[in-house]
Amino acid sequence: MQNTSSTEKIEQDVLAAMSWPSRSYLACIFLAGLVFLGGMALWGRQIALGMGVAGISHPVGWGVYITDFVFWVGIAHSGTLISAVLYIFRAHFRTSFNRAAEAMTIFALMVAGLFPLIHLGRVWFAYFLFPYPNQRQLWVNFRSPLVWDVFAVSTYMLVSLVFFYIGLMPDLAIVARRRTGFTGKIYRLLTLGWIGSSQQWRHYAKLYFFLAAFATPLVASVHSIVSWDFAVSIVPGWHTTIFAPYFVAGAILSGTAMVITLVIPMRRLLRLETYIPVEHIESIAKILLLTSLIVSFAYIVEQGLAFYSGNLFEMEQFRFRAFGDYRLLFWIMVGCNSVLPLTLFIGRLRRNLAFLFVLSLLVNVGMWLERFVIVVTSLARDFDPYAWGKYTPSLTEFGITAGSFGLFFLLFLLFIKILPVLSITELKER
Amino acid sequence: MHDTKLSIGGCYSLLLILAVTIGLIEYGGLVDQQGSLLLTLSFWGAIIQGAVAVAAVTALVRAKWIASLRRELLALYPLLLLLALLFALLWPQLELFPWDNHPTAWLNRPFFMGRNLVSLVLTFIAGRQLALHSTQGTPFKDRYAVIYLAAFVLSQSLVGYDWLMSAAFPWVNTMFGLYFFTESLYAGIAVSGLAMLLYFRLRIKAAPEQTTLHLRDVGLLLFGFSILWAGLFFAQFLLIWYANLPEEVHFVTERLSHSPGRELCWLFLISLFLAPFVALLGGDAKGDLRFVSSISLLVLAGLFAERLFILLPAIPYHGGALLLYNGLIFVMMLLVLHSSERLLPQAPPERNEGQ
Repeated sequence: MQNTSSTEKIEQDVLAAMSWPSRSYLACIFLAGLVFLGGMALWGRQIALGMGVAGISHPVGWGVYITDFVFWVGIAHSGTLISAVLYIFRAHFRTSFNRAAEAMTIFALMVAGLFPLIHLGRVWFAYFLFPYPNQRQLWVNFRSPLVWDVFAVSTYMLVSLVFFYIGLMPDLAIVARRRTGFTGKIYRLLTLGWIGSSQQWRHYAKLYFFLAAFATPLVASVHSIVSWDFAVSIVPGWHTTIFAPYFVAGAILSGTAMVITLVIPMRRLLRLETYIPVEHIESIAKILLLTSLIVSFAYIVEQGLAFYSGNLFEMEQFRFRAFGDYRLLFWIMVGCNSVLPLTLFIGRLRRNLAFLFVLSLLVNVGMWLERFVIVVTSLARDFDPYAWGKYTPSLTEFGITAGSFGLFFLLFLLFIKILPVLSITELKER
Repeated sequence: MHDTKLSIGGCYSLLLILAVTIGLIEYGGLVDQQGSLLLTLSFWGAIIQGAVAVAAVTALVRAKWIASLRRELLALYPLLLLLALLFALLWPQLELFPWDNHPTAWLNRPFFMGRNLVSLVLTFIAGRQLALHSTQGTPFKDRYAVIYLAAFVLSQSLVGYDWLMSAAFPWVNTMFGLYFFTESLYAGIAVSGLAMLLYFRLRIKAAPEQTTLHLRDVGLLLFGFSILWAGLFFAQFLLIWYANLPEEVHFVTERLSHSPGRELCWLFLISLFLAPFVALLGGDAKGDLRFVSSISLLVLAGLFAERLFILLPAIPYHGGALLLYNGLIFVMMLLVLHSSERLLPQAPPERNEGQ
């Protein structure tokens, strides 16, 4: 009897988050929507007036838009890490975060996918990118990492979406059982005939494990391929073998920070303290610390080996990063990604949610700056001093970047009212 | 049987005798080609430091995997001192490195020896503290696990950048540090697989369910690390191949253009990736003692082939000496494992928690 009432309570508590929205929630939706629309308007302006409204120009042809693309793909990483990798390793604390993290992955990938289009300028010619048979004799260059990117990111998106949906199915059945009328019918339709029979559960467990195992190497492969967009070139500061694991660690760092940014307010607003205990958030904080240490290791190695090699171009590039035009951004990046996370060695701070929330915001600032520093400094100081230049992002670029955050938060806010934010079935098992 | 077990004093004395013996062989005029010592050190450094590192990681993340073997892995800590002793013997051989004639701010004899010795001694001290606190279950064990892992990363990074990469100076590969400490962890898991062979029958009687699960976990970790290793290996060589810069590709072409580099390359690719991946793909294979221990042995053989592949063109070596040093250290390792109860007398609390 007690068991029945406790499972009933879990259902009620988690589904309570899907009740009629409060005023503060609607205010957040309005704000996020407004920022998103502002970004869209600026994109429209860029389409109307041309790429001149963006700051990118010779020699810095990749600027804020590519930075945003890399940043958002990075954010998408932690979802699968928390869901799939921790599932395989039987880490029970994942149940507090997996649903939100998986949703975050999907939304971040959707946002990331916009930036190559925004960067194109003449977006109405985007179909030029597709290898369809035509009289242009188009032949895709499979040796280009940009093509690898398309396959890697779309595969990751597809697998993440399936993984997210499969994980949702038992919970959708619970929602369908508790809802009546038209919404109930919609949820019932979404369950794809799930009735929770033992045969269905057996298949579900097998498929879920298989998808987790399949998604795990994808976590490493996607951002490795994004890193190769840069590393396969011979530009100083980019052409370095550590880029793949360095980008993967950075992606997990930023993704984990974003999970903390989303989950701490969500936990409080939706009154989910019982289901997302501080100990679980502490475990996530430890992942943040570990990945920060790996990223710091990569910073040291990059700088150190530039001088070890005695290569003039590499040495100048890394001197420029630390003491050149973008030095302030570089040092903020080091502070946010390497120095501040060291505070997580103190157990008391790992359990202080306000501190963790602020730290997660700062880590994401640092991670965005890291992408910016990598993208921009190497292009601004290439081999030939005659071709050196300086890039200053325009307000349009900043506005579109803000708009991407607006879209991301808008999608996440909609998610918490439409779908269960925690895995009810896994909570019952726990 | 009990009499053959080493006491802690006996263990250190034997280690000293071993180091002196190797020193006498190396400098007593018995070998004409010096280089075997560096190769031996880089191989056993990965195995010994990696084994203790695996124990540290599992303690830190409260992992139940390989909990049956944590104590045996920790008992290898005295061998960390052997690495420092053998490294000190390298001093007269630094002329093997191409940078010795043109020292730089980073690559010069005193600094090279100093930083590596400090890191090796630090690893030993941290490993010893970790082993003692871990087996006694004191609250400091996590702290020492973190310190050991920091020392381990530093030490294995130096193995990568100083011992192996600088042998091909001025060739540069930023991945080497990360690659070698990951590979060292892989070696540590392979040691666990071999230790399973020694202890499985003993443990299965006491805790059949736990021991079977732990064997499966070792198999799973070997499988996982084979993919991780392949990913890192591919990531670094893809860039070298893609850029096709003469100053980068010469490292690969020099080794692949003739025997035995070509064969060694195939050997370590098969041993470190293809064989573990294919053999352990099935669920049943991961729980099969013969499979797991054979793959573990193959992984260690692959590791040795890889070190040989990297150092062979740059460093000359004496085959007999190489065989002897490795044989001696292997026997020493078996003795230490056999004496683990005496070296770390108290039972670890984790074993009872294992699931």
